[in-house]
Amino acid sequence: MGQHDRYDAIIAGAGHNGLTTACYLARAGLKVLVVEKNDWIGGAAVSRSLHEGWTYSNCSYVCSLLRREIVRDLDLPKFGLQVIPYEGGATFTANGDYFAYHSDHDALRREIARHEPRDVDAYDRFSQTVIRQCRFIRPFLLRSAPDPTSFKINDLQELLYLVKRAHGLGPRELAETLRFWTMSIGDFLDEHFENDLIKAHLAGSGIIGTGLGVYSPGTAYVLLHHYMGDVDGAIGAWGFARGGMGAISKALGDCFEAAGGTIFTGSGVERFLVEGGKIIGVALDNGDEYRAPIVASNMDVKRTFLEHTDAKDLPEDFTRAVKRFKIRGSSGKLNIALDALPDFPAAPKGANFLRGDLHASESLAELERAYDDWKEGRWSANPYFDMLIPSQIDPTMAPPGKHMMTVFVQYAPYALEKDGVCSGENWTEEAKKAFAETVFDKIEQVCPDIRSKVVHAEIRTPRDIEREVGLTEGNIFQGELTFDQLLFNRPVPGYANYATPIEGMYLVGSSAHPGGGVMAAPGANAAREILKKLGKGAAVAAEAA
Amino acid sequence: MNARFDVIVIGAGHNGLAAAEALAKRGKSVCVVEQSDAVGGMACDRLAHLLYNPAPSGVETREIDTVSLSPEGAHVLIRRGEARFTSGKPHPDAAAYQTLYRRLVRYAGLLHQLAEAPPPGLEQGVTSLAGLRELSRLAKLGVGVKRLGKAEMREFLRILLTNAYDLLLDEMPDGPLPGALAADAVRGAFSGPRSPGTVLSLMYRLRHGGGVFLPAGGMGAVAGAYAEGARRAGAEVRCGLGVTRVIVEGDKVAGVLLSDGGRLDASAVLSSVGPMQTMRMAGIAEFDIEAVRRARKLRAKGSTAKLNLRLGGVPEFTGLSAAQVKARLLVAPSVAGVERSFNPAKYGDLPKQPVLEMVLTDGTGPSTLSVIAGHVPETSWTTDRRESFTASVVETIERFAPGFGSLVEEADLLTPEDISAMTGAPGGHWHHAEMGLDQMLTTRPTVGMARYRFGVAGLYLCGASAHPGGDVTGAPGRNSAAQVLADGVA
Ligand SMILES: Cc1cc2nc3c(=O)[nH]c(=O)nc-3n(C[C@H](O)[C@H](O)[C@H](O)COP(=O)(O)OP(=O)(O)OC[C@H]3O[C@@H](n4cnc5c(N)ncnc54)[C@H](O)[C@@H]3O)c2cc1C
Ligand SMILES: Cc1cc2nc3c(=O)[nH]c(=O)nc-3n(C[C@H](O)[C@H](O)[C@H](O)COP(=O)(O)OP(=O)(O)OC[C@H]3O[C@@H](n4cnc5c(N)ncnc54)[C@H](O)[C@@H]3O)c2cc1C
Repeated sequence: MGQHDRYDAIIAGAGHNGLTTACYLARAGLKVLVVEKNDWIGGAAVSRSLHEGWTYSNCSYVCSLLRREIVRDLDLPKFGLQVIPYEGGATFTANGDYFAYHSDHDALRREIARHEPRDVDAYDRFSQTVIRQCRFIRPFLLRSAPDPTSFKINDLQELLYLVKRAHGLGPRELAETLRFWTMSIGDFLDEHFENDLIKAHLAGSGIIGTGLGVYSPGTAYVLLHHYMGDVDGAIGAWGFARGGMGAISKALGDCFEAAGGTIFTGSGVERFLVEGGKIIGVALDNGDEYRAPIVASNMDVKRTFLEHTDAKDLPEDFTRAVKRFKIRGSSGKLNIALDALPDFPAAPKGANFLRGDLHASESLAELERAYDDWKEGRWSANPYFDMLIPSQIDPTMAPPGKHMMTVFVQYAPYALEKDGVCSGENWTEEAKKAFAETVFDKIEQVCPDIRSKVVHAEIRTPRDIEREVGLTEGNIFQGELTFDQLLFNRPVPGYANYATPIEGMYLVGSSAHPGGGVMAAPGANAAREILKKLGKGAAVAAEAA
Repeated sequence: MNARFDVIVIGAGHNGLAAAEALAKRGKSVCVVEQSDAVGGMACDRLAHLLYNPAPSGVETREIDTVSLSPEGAHVLIRRGEARFTSGKPHPDAAAYQTLYRRLVRYAGLLHQLAEAPPPGLEQGVTSLAGLRELSRLAKLGVGVKRLGKAEMREFLRILLTNAYDLLLDEMPDGPLPGALAADAVRGAFSGPRSPGTVLSLMYRLRHGGGVFLPAGGMGAVAGAYAEGARRAGAEVRCGLGVTRVIVEGDKVAGVLLSDGGRLDASAVLSSVGPMQTMRMAGIAEFDIEAVRRARKLRAKGSTAKLNLRLGGVPEFTGLSAAQVKARLLVAPSVAGVERSFNPAKYGDLPKQPVLEMVLTDGTGPSTLSVIAGHVPETSWTTDRRESFTASVVETIERFAPGFGSLVEEADLLTPEDISAMTGAPGGHWHHAEMGLDQMLTTRPTVGMARYRFGVAGLYLCGASAHPGGDVTGAPGRNSAAQVLADGVA
């Protein structure tokens, strides 16, 4: 390893998107190097063992968004990827009842009727609307976003495609789509449903990972972002990657190495090297330098340009736009090793829905209050959680008879308030513990015996997520999914096509269109743009309409 | 009296009157029917107090400054894009503010042309003449946007959908200066500055250049001028009788029934009341189920209260000259504070620190302080609640004007409930329907009802719930009249 190692392309960061780009480039015949700061690959799609015998999906925990065209293109099942669907879920109430979400349509209708007969048909209307919106948006995921200010053939073609799709909807449906994209998940649910508990159950997807409340306009889109995936072709379905989310990154890594690629872990990029406006390589923390005419950053747009690029190599207004990019941490997580399956006294013994996603927020008002706390720099006193026990379905996650539980928590601030000052520094060990206690208190409402079953717990605040994965402020999507940061505005107006002001340098992470989640779409789209530039029109997944 | 007209207008709010004037000018016989004894609806002395746009002819207006009060005493004096401290000292963020403000006004001007006509239609294809006209209008906006230049155009497209909180705090530190714009962005709305879409509602207010005008004689005089305009054009304005039913015969509008049992015939009826009320008057069965469902779910949660305080003398505000006291006074100490004041409203509670817009009105004598308080609950106004809210507003003012409380001789509080009872406005909402991104333009008030035509042939909406929305502008009324004429129904 030395100064003169030359590559065709270097990818900075072995998150799943960086690895996806790397796979496509290597398969197109390029000599590709991936450099990763951590000793492991995967970024926020990672499995780690922190307590012997147990495996955690430390960050992301469920899989659905991963584009199947990419899975197919890269033969990921051949490299060990297996996604197991889970079914159902439930929201528990403080008074011992629950709303169970069954994937069986008739069972679901019966359950809805048990709570509110009027909501039975409302649910069908709701899910039809959501599925219609998913169908509309999905083809855009594996395409670059058009720049409406540009007259370049590419942009005009993409714009035309957008207009055509929009036109194909018909006037009513188009107006409906505009409305859906701009409204809040709370208003959307209020429009359809009467029952508070049912609304609260469905609202969660609208706020996961965002610094917005259920009544903030734009959260209906966030819900869509969580519904537009599928498992085995079932739209909106979610599953577990066998072996945890790291299995996805591992399959990508193996695929990349099988195509002749090289991965260096354990030392990150300290600086992107630029000469005369062109990228020439990277310098690592350990002093090594590598050269390549193409360098792609998997880090978020802020980290890439504000931490590791010399400001003088960037236009001033670009830097300003990057600074302005909103990337707010709003989520925490608990990964818990359990001695045994906890007891859910409210649920029938062995209920199927316990294998799905479990919650304990009973109303939209409760969720909105959770958001109000976050705005003031506090974690929610009464938080929303998305809790699963994957070891019930994937036995590789815990020793026989034992279990692993993953608890995603909304909201937790990056800059914690203390004595009137908000700062990341305020996340002391004590504060972290207190945060975890708040979450355990809430879980106790559902599983009174939870505390007695805990063998080990990993507590993750936005600050921890930033420190480990490099996600600025711990924002899980590498940037808020608000409409001023989507499509041609993502991440910076005028740079939505994965290119940057530095020639040969690209952004391939979730800061780019179409955004976060373990989707691999930014990585694949970026690879397509890079290969196009190189005149290699090689096939990169593109979704048929 | 004649019982047959070409057009009946329900409600003599300023929009109904503006519609009547436009139709009468084109030779239609028009009768405006108003339930209350006075014209103007919400545009009356007790409610609306300032204009953000040109007044109708016959009304003198005076542009006034804005003073954004600071709890620390560093009040900011604002006139359009200029900001300094009331002490005369320069404001450190004046330059940043000016750049932002000018940009917003420029962008708002582009949107202005959209407000002065029916919203861009998606109904007609490009093949019809009407469709082509639509397209050319949109193209004009497109050209306007393109003329901005690439960088500005990108900025326009970005901030259009963003929120006031980020837009303001990206440019300057929090305080009374950005607080003033944040308050302007959400006044009358059920939203806080963090809500996406609030930059658009701010630009809605700025689309005439951003000036704030005090009408001589108060808002009652403005309403009077609208009525006078209608009458001069030949319209009849009848007060004191409400419309109880819209008569539909053979799928077409035939006239209205009045609260005294009388009947007026007409082939077109314009309604300035809300969509749901209008449907009820015409009979729910006349509309398709989907349209009724949408109207029923329309968001119109009133969140603004009005407090008219009759004073025994001219109040003194610490740090303000006698002239500065006559400015538009804002209590909006920070963007975060405006957001915080919205929190309790979401759960039906009173704001702890109300955001206020106050002006010593010319209309009802210099000794009335007209106060608009944002982010109050729509309902459940018990006597206790009314009293404690009035007290908290007076207390808030007292903090800036010691001794203020003792000047107050009479307090006239109008809550959303009261406003709804007075004018019939849905939820007592300032705009009759929330100005959210999802209830604007082509989706205002609801999908499928955006171009004033309201389900039944000959029935139209002409009030604030229609495009472009509320404020005392007359735009919905004028646009609706233009649609009636274009449709040739009367
Ligand atoms: C707690 C949490 C829960 C989530 N849950 C889900 C979920 O259930 N389902 C889902 O679909 N999505 C989920 N997400 C979102 C999803 O995981 C991320 O959006 C996605 O993994 C981001 O992938 P990426 O490749 O774009 O970037 P990242 O995963 O952020 O990859 C960036 C990589 O760059 C590396 N890096 C950083 N700095 C340097 C440097 N200087 N030099 C070299 N390398 C560097 C990092 O270590 C990392 O490996 C979750 C995220 C979090 C944080
Ligand atoms: C507290 C408050 C302060 C405001 N301040 C300002 C301000 O300073 N500046 C500004 O620009 N805007 C202000 N507004 C907003 C502005 O006043 C309104 O948006 C605007 O006046 C609405 O006009 P309109 O004609 O559409 O409806 P309205 O004014 O509501 O008129 C509707 C009319 O219809 C009548 N009516 C209802 N039902 C019937 C029936 N069945 N038969 C006959 N008649 C009927 C009503 O009596 C009423 O006269 C304020 C609003 C509020 C609530």
